[in-house]
Amino acid sequence: MTETSGRWARLAAWFDTRLGLTYPLLRPAPRYSINPFYWLGALTVVAFLIQGVTGIMMMLYYVPSPADAFGSTQYIFQSVYYGRFLQTVHLYTAYAMIMLAFMHMMRSYFVSVYKKPREMMWVVGMVMGFVTLGFGFTGYLLPWTVVSKSATDVGIGIIDALPATISSFLSFLIVGAGGDATELLRFYDLHVVVLPAVLLVLLTVKMYMLEAHGVAEPTTGSPIEQRASRSLPIFPDVTIYLLGLAAMFGSAMLLISAIFPLSLPPMYTPQLAAQFTAQPDWYFLWIYQILKISAFEGSGLPVALGLVTLILVALLALPFIDKGSSRRIAERPIFVTIGLIFIAELFVLAYWGLESPGQVIATDDAAMILGAVALIVGTSSFALYTVFGQRGAPSPDSKEKVSKTQGKFATALAFVLLLSSGAMAIGASLNAIVRVVLYGTSASSLVQLGLSIGFLSVVAFSTVFLMYRMELAGASLKRRFDWLEIGWSANDSH
Amino acid sequence: MIPIRRIVTLLLVLQFVSTGYLWTVNGIGTTSEARFAVFLAVNLLSFSIVTYVYTHDKWEETISRGWILAAALGLALLLLSSLYFS
Repeated sequence: MTETSGRWARLAAWFDTRLGLTYPLLRPAPRYSINPFYWLGALTVVAFLIQGVTGIMMMLYYVPSPADAFGSTQYIFQSVYYGRFLQTVHLYTAYAMIMLAFMHMMRSYFVSVYKKPREMMWVVGMVMGFVTLGFGFTGYLLPWTVVSKSATDVGIGIIDALPATISSFLSFLIVGAGGDATELLRFYDLHVVVLPAVLLVLLTVKMYMLEAHGVAEPTTGSPIEQRASRSLPIFPDVTIYLLGLAAMFGSAMLLISAIFPLSLPPMYTPQLAAQFTAQPDWYFLWIYQILKISAFEGSGLPVALGLVTLILVALLALPFIDKGSSRRIAERPIFVTIGLIFIAELFVLAYWGLESPGQVIATDDAAMILGAVALIVGTSSFALYTVFGQRGAPSPDSKEKVSKTQGKFATALAFVLLLSSGAMAIGASLNAIVRVVLYGTSASSLVQLGLSIGFLSVVAFSTVFLMYRMELAGASLKRRFDWLEIGWSANDSH
Repeated sequence: MIPIRRIVTLLLVLQFVSTGYLWTVNGIGTTSEARFAVFLAVNLLSFSIVTYVYTHDKWEETISRGWILAAALGLALLLLSSLYFS
């Protein structure tokens, strides 16, 4: 037994001395980084690798010409061994790659890892995110189905709204002048050659910067325990951890692929496309929905594109906008609230876009819904900050502190519910008033007005009541009202 | 005390058997492709548990009984779901 293990050890040592497996090329990782949230970027790379492997296998059969693209895709589906499986895994892993990149970005945003000295890591990461979206855009066209071609045509059509110099350059770059054949070939080249090469270069640059700066420390505010800050070698410890994480991710992808296998939509023909309402894939739905707002129709399209560009540029330049020194979530209420509103608006726009294909959205509807979302999320976030205080909740080291924290949480929750209800009540009341003004009084409009104002009054009274009781607990009231102190005893303040 | 060696041995046997089974699956058709995906997922999930046990044992940290049970349940569900695809 000992002799056998000694032989294995000698064999491992032989490989190690030749291949330099344990040579410390990469810096060790701190123990606190052994957490999936620290490796969302790595999981995005794993998704990219799966994309590479499945994509190369499909390239063996795929023909990038309008006449054969659909046929070759169908051939992969029906006649190639594991062909449908490959395509399904390729698609779902692409979705996962986009979602993981987004989660990685938002996690980096909330824990503000983009601050000095990691500003350029954020910028490079954002460009990598745009390249990932580019993969989605270019890959979507390749099966040449009515769904994919129609959606891509809508996307290409948007380019025309850009200033002439930019639009002619972009059109030349991605569409060319040879009609469908050139367009498909350009998309294919971008998808399988240009974008992977760009992504690999950017990945190398980002990895180099990661090696230079190391993993960002957690933002708990308390000193890191010695055990959590100890270093773990990248090989074998962290490598094996990452392989395990990647295996779990791969397992989830496979399971989803087994449960929801792809089916191929019909082939693109101009006749079929004329009967079809084009809609982009889910990751572009938020842009699609912005472009459908009636104020941005026609001549307003450049304004909408300018707005989307402004959002993306602001994200790109974030490290140079948020220059505060603190990285703690508890000490960054404005940026955290903006981040929460951003996520909420993206989800609302995407869902709305999914539910209203091809429909133009009235500007006042868009303003009301997007404004209400911003109001609800913003006020909820500020309510949480107000109740917990900007320093965050105290660390519960006793039963008393735990119950106080729970009490604060309950109060914050009540505030959030009241504010959400308040926003809805204000919206309903305004809607009822507008109806009365525009269409005159009717029984239904008066009932609606009465109910909404009644609801608003209940919410307003509950808010005042809650705030009064909070001040009562803090014993800082200048003037007191008996009718607001029903059931209150002096002991409650302790 | 968690019987680490037994768990790892069992998982390695499971991986060996499922890998063997993968070679026998016919690769054409939705059902057989789904079965292939499920058994490959079993393989990867059991590998993932082995890495969890290995790293935590090496770092002298507590191996969570809850995680092991959840992963075992996941494996059992995956194996059961393969019946659906047969």
